[in-house]
Amino acid sequence: MNQGVSGAQLRGQEGEVELMLLAVKNLYKEFGGLIANADISVDLDQGEIVGLIGPNGAGKTTLFNCIAGYYKPSSGMVLFQGVDITGWPAHRVAKIGIARTFQNLRIMPLLTVEENVMVGAFCRAGDRQIALREAREILELVDLAQEAHVHPTELPIVSQKRIELARALATKPKFLMLDEVAAGLNPFETKEIIQSLQKIKEEKDLTLFLTEHVMEFIMTISERVIVMAAGRKIAEGKPEQVAREDKVIRAYLGERYAEGR
Amino acid sequence: MFSLGDLPLSERIVFVAFLAFVFLFPWIVRSSYPRAVMINFLLFAMYGLGWNLIGGYGGQVDLGQAKNVGFGAYTTALMMTWLDVPFWFTVPVGMFFATLESFAVAYPMFRLRGHYFAIATLCVALVWQQLFLFWDWTGGARGVELPIKPIPNFTYMQFGAIGSHYFIFGLFMAQFLFMNWFRKSKLGYELQAVRDNEDAAASLGINVTWTKVKAYLITAAMGALGGSFYAVYHSYIDPRSIMHIDLTILIAMTAMVGGCGSMWGPIIGAALLIPLDMYLAALLGGRGFYGVDFMIYGFIIMIVAAFEPRGIWGTIERARRRS
Repeated sequence: MNQGVSGAQLRGQEGEVELMLLAVKNLYKEFGGLIANADISVDLDQGEIVGLIGPNGAGKTTLFNCIAGYYKPSSGMVLFQGVDITGWPAHRVAKIGIARTFQNLRIMPLLTVEENVMVGAFCRAGDRQIALREAREILELVDLAQEAHVHPTELPIVSQKRIELARALATKPKFLMLDEVAAGLNPFETKEIIQSLQKIKEEKDLTLFLTEHVMEFIMTISERVIVMAAGRKIAEGKPEQVAREDKVIRAYLGERYAEGR
Repeated sequence: MFSLGDLPLSERIVFVAFLAFVFLFPWIVRSSYPRAVMINFLLFAMYGLGWNLIGGYGGQVDLGQAKNVGFGAYTTALMMTWLDVPFWFTVPVGMFFATLESFAVAYPMFRLRGHYFAIATLCVALVWQQLFLFWDWTGGARGVELPIKPIPNFTYMQFGAIGSHYFIFGLFMAQFLFMNWFRKSKLGYELQAVRDNEDAAASLGINVTWTKVKAYLITAAMGALGGSFYAVYHSYIDPRSIMHIDLTILIAMTAMVGGCGSMWGPIIGAALLIPLDMYLAALLGGRGFYGVDFMIYGFIIMIVAAFEPRGIWGTIERARRRS
């Protein structure tokens, strides 16, 4: 079934099972009669960059929401560093070290850019001065230091996405989920965000889990790709391997194209 | 901690000028009615600052603040008449009762959002008003008359016009400094984040419901503080004057007309509405035009809602940004 390889397998299988940073086990999520996620199992190892792709409605965002505590899974388990976080509310998930950005931007419009990021820093910091210092550092890192005192709604979408990224980073996560962070960006901006993400990942020792429609983006940045279609995981492996799989091509381009090949 | 350093110089200058004016007011104006208007203005600026916490920074339209004012006023009045205890002893007790009651109703109410939350707060406040009208042990509809002590009296905090002026001015300043600290505190930012976007706030580790509850409790305590002052200032309270929905509306309006979620909004709102209210009531009521002041209020609300939801302060800020 699964021709791809998981992170643990890539590192060799000798000895006992490694403790995964994040392990999703047989997760189901139903809305009424609709099954948005069916039997999803995903393992992410510390330090990986894993892409999650699939056509519209494949259930990528649902999976993110189940991990981040926005939806309660119908069944299955989510383990973070061995801790069972299944069904935890979102704010507890954030405290344990999982941060996320949103597909449709969720900016705090009445706060300035700096204050937006400060709110993230308050996740760990109790003191205003500390939160402010951390916020400024992170704004520097994502090239928003110039816009610190502007209101986010006055900035273009690219910058607003950077604010969400900065805000998520300010919570000092171990694991960062980015939901379509490159959507709507031009190729140049995409290249820029790939570079800054790679830089940030190294600097902060992060593990990244990202969904994306922009194939150029996801295939460049990911070390491993998971493909979903119609709520199921259909393939997993290195980007260039996965792109050649029939099932994946079929899911993206339809039966006829796959057969005619 | 209480510094105004983050505000523009022009705002600080205007505020210091305002404080100087209020401080000298009893010596500039000698007649009693303007002095009463000034005291009432400070009281409502204080109410407004407190309500602004949940209503402005928290974005939750709470239409039950009169019940908290009532708890403070009744606690002070009843403890002073029955037990003859000093004023300052009754203040924390009143704040405690208001907070306790708010805590009891907060969790079910914050399951509701927007208009439904507003209606729920209104209903709870109306229930309390009816209870205080009905109960005999609190004086019922007759209200409570506080024992009159020799004036001035620091134990029972009963003063003439000038003493009351500085008394409420002190309370107002205390509350202003508290709010100035609060808006820059961790809870202050968390509350604003919840107001702006609950999903985003939760993703940053903020417990949305608990944050709202905390803000609701602080607002309740601040309402009770104002109520305690009201009781000793007027030496008489009844459910119609302090538990009444009119009071709730007026409190919410000072913040909304002035500008929600800003330091100056409630003060500007109170400066506009309270003199208007008192002079209109005196002018029109004296000639038999009862209720016309409420029509004028309604008109003001409509104008604010239609043209500038962020109130007078919102207009000022927008003009400043444009220039």
